Amino acid sequence: MTKKKRGHPDVEEILSRPWCYYCERDFDDLKILINHQKAKHFKCDRCGRRLNTAGGLNVHMNQVHKENLNAIENALPNRAGLDVEIFGMEGIPEEIVQQHNQRVLTNFHQAEAERRAATGNLTPGAQGANGPKKPKFESPAELKKRLAEHKAAKLAAEQNGGGSSGSNTPTSAQVQSMPAQQPAQGSSTYPAYQQPYAPAPSSTTFAAPQTYNQPPAHGLPPPGYGAPPTGFAQNPPPQQPPYGQPTQSYQQPFAQPLQHPFQQPQFPMSTAFSPPPFPGQPPFPNQGYQSQVPQNGYSGQVGAPRAYNSASPASPFPHQQRTHSPAQNGLPPRTGSGSLPSAPGLPQRPVVNAPPVNAAQFQQMHQGQIPTQHNFTPPQLQQQTSVPKEEYNPAAPQIGMPHGLSNEAPGASSLDDLISSASKQADEQSARANTATPKPATPQTAPLATREEAVEEKSNKKDKDGKEKAAKPTRLVYSDNEISPEEKMASMPKYAFTPAQKTVQV
Amino acid sequence: MSAQWDIAEPPSDAISALRFSSDSASRRFAVASWDKYVYIYEVSDDKQCLLLNKIEHRAPVLDVCFGKDNDEIYTACLDWDVRRIQISSNEQTVLSTHDAGVRNVVYSKEHGLVISAAWDSTVHVHPASPDAEWPTATINLPSKPFSLSLSSSKLVVAMANRALNIYELATLAKECKNSANALQNRLDIEPWQRRESSLKFMTRAVDCMPGDEGYATSSIEGRVAVEWFDPSNESQARKYAFKCHRQPVDDVDVVYPVNSIAFHPVHGTFATGGGDGVVAIWDAIAKRRIRIYPKLASSIAAMSFSADGRILATAISPGFEDGKEELAEGSIAIYIRELGENEVKKKAK
Repeated sequence: MTKKKRGHPDVEEILSRPWCYYCERDFDDLKILINHQKAKHFKCDRCGRRLNTAGGLNVHMNQVHKENLNAIENALPNRAGLDVEIFGMEGIPEEIVQQHNQRVLTNFHQAEAERRAATGNLTPGAQGANGPKKPKFESPAELKKRLAEHKAAKLAAEQNGGGSSGSNTPTSAQVQSMPAQQPAQGSSTYPAYQQPYAPAPSSTTFAAPQTYNQPPAHGLPPPGYGAPPTGFAQNPPPQQPPYGQPTQSYQQPFAQPLQHPFQQPQFPMSTAFSPPPFPGQPPFPNQGYQSQVPQNGYSGQVGAPRAYNSASPASPFPHQQRTHSPAQNGLPPRTGSGSLPSAPGLPQRPVVNAPPVNAAQFQQMHQGQIPTQHNFTPPQLQQQTSVPKEEYNPAAPQIGMPHGLSNEAPGASSLDDLISSASKQADEQSARANTATPKPATPQTAPLATREEAVEEKSNKKDKDGKEKAAKPTRLVYSDNEISPEEKMASMPKYAFTPAQKTVQV
Repeated sequence: MSAQWDIAEPPSDAISALRFSSDSASRRFAVASWDKYVYIYEVSDDKQCLLLNKIEHRAPVLDVCFGKDNDEIYTACLDWDVRRIQISSNEQTVLSTHDAGVRNVVYSKEHGLVISAAWDSTVHVHPASPDAEWPTATINLPSKPFSLSLSSSKLVVAMANRALNIYELATLAKECKNSANALQNRLDIEPWQRRESSLKFMTRAVDCMPGDEGYATSSIEGRVAVEWFDPSNESQARKYAFKCHRQPVDDVDVVYPVNSIAFHPVHGTFATGGGDGVVAIWDAIAKRRIRIYPKLASSIAAMSFSADGRILATAISPGFEDGKEELAEGSIAIYIRELGENEVKKKAK
């Protein structure tokens, strides 16, 4: 057998370990257990002879030393009796075995829980178990939105039968710096995906992506968009003006596609991805990433991502699971059809589906995000920034977005404020749903710090334990260093002696 | 195990001292108590312990030791007197009177001396035989004495302020005889060695190794130091101290005073008794704990091995040492433990 790489054994392994009835210690091997019993419990303290059983020791004591054995040495208080004949694992009463197993199991589970909390790893079954629960945490608006999105995705998938799969490596630089370039790349799925991300980083670059969205809103024919990506980039600029009206419809399509397609497919796949979007607008990509891909975030590539996860140290899992499960639920249709095609498809979806879904429901759903919508009226830049943000909230409501934005998104402070208020609302809602969620107020850096602190605390604890052994606070039972206990007693009235005679003599 | 039992008639108040007779054929021991009595017990073969005699004093008795035979004891009493008592006849003789309560008294068979130490910071050296030609000599100490111990050739006086004086008995005996006519019997004698305790806190007890190599001291701060008489650097480098008689409570180590130290007359191991009610057996050479006995109901007040090393008698009493000052049922007791052959023996290496 190869050596186990995990430091912690299975339940079965632990349960199968032989253990000593008298002292509840467990051993690697039955032989060692028997040796232990002979040395610790069945050893004659008169002559040191090691007997095999308590009965044997008793007989030995009787015959050799003419003494009676009353109790087993070194045994737990309630196990010192001679009534049970123990040899190794044999002879242990059934109920004691069960008690022991129970204890072992509880210990194991406790240790496991601690380990999980410490490492941030999900339990194997946890995801499945929590998946179903997840939706409960979502607000009805979110649910509806997702449903709409799902439908849209289905339609989009049907329409765009085959999509080319885009490589993960985002050309953030390209996207950010040059809208013009996008057309060239348009064929690849990137632009679409990046859009959500990119929008934040560089508003200018977004112009292109936006154009996609806009067209649908305005009622442009979907087919045209989907087919030639290149055309999009160019088209958008002219179409921008119409914005003010369609804002609502706008956001909806955006928000939906962004959440689902992005979060799962891309993020998990490439941790490398995260960096590029960051420079422009770290807060968004990070959040999306981390919440979805905890491990990546942990890996420590980006400080910000960690912060998010850390922000909810209490239950890192639940968050992840939540974000995950929705994404997954929504995803299957899309991913199946091809998540990548969505790039061209993104714009399309809104067009096709938006009208049906746009109904009153959508507005209701977005009311929480309304502030951002108002912001849209301004030029595209704001819209773009605002849009991704809004979408973000639903995606990763737990995360303290507002701060991230304000911190890292330059020049969008007023917007950020509005967004933050909206996101806060979302956050609070989610927070109510998930008690474990961190307070949105915590700035990005803070969560990071908290996480580190948590880690440090742990290590500190260990250190403390070590140190305490070395320098434990002590309390002297008798602390008078000048007067001995006897002197104190002698000064008590009941012991007082008045040497009447002696004084005369002296 | 059934090797330990408590005696039937313990003193009625706190126990201050317990000493076995130095006669290896005897299993007689004397107990001094704060109830103003000295008790003489004898362990019989059938696990009985008989109270042979009970001698009243005017004040609580702080120490007791056997004299030249099983019938003679010396007592140190809070009434400032040092007495010689014949057990059989109950005849008491006051050897000397200190200016304060007498804390300790020891008897040196080899040099025929009875040495007492009192809280007036003096040591009185008495001739053991009543017909000696020299009177009691008084030695001034730099501090209050807390404990006395004798080896075959040395007297160790442990005092307050961590001071520790070691006298050579032979010199003491000679000086005492020579200074018979000295003024007021004051004896200005330099100790053979003056030492500072290796322990940072008040010395609680001291006992000498049976082989005359060194001694062990204990402090109120759960610590025991083992040191050697030999002033050479090599021997002094061997001295060490260790922590014991502590109990972790929550995050705090509760530290008990080590009230008593007793070397085993045969094996050279020693027992320590603490305010926590625990007796532990140690190997001074190997620096190992050999054994630790179950916690008893109250502070260990005194311990003594019988001269043949087969019995360990342990006296427990509440007192300032364990933070308890009220007498609870069973808090005053004397336990007799019959030691197995290897029970307190150094472990073979």
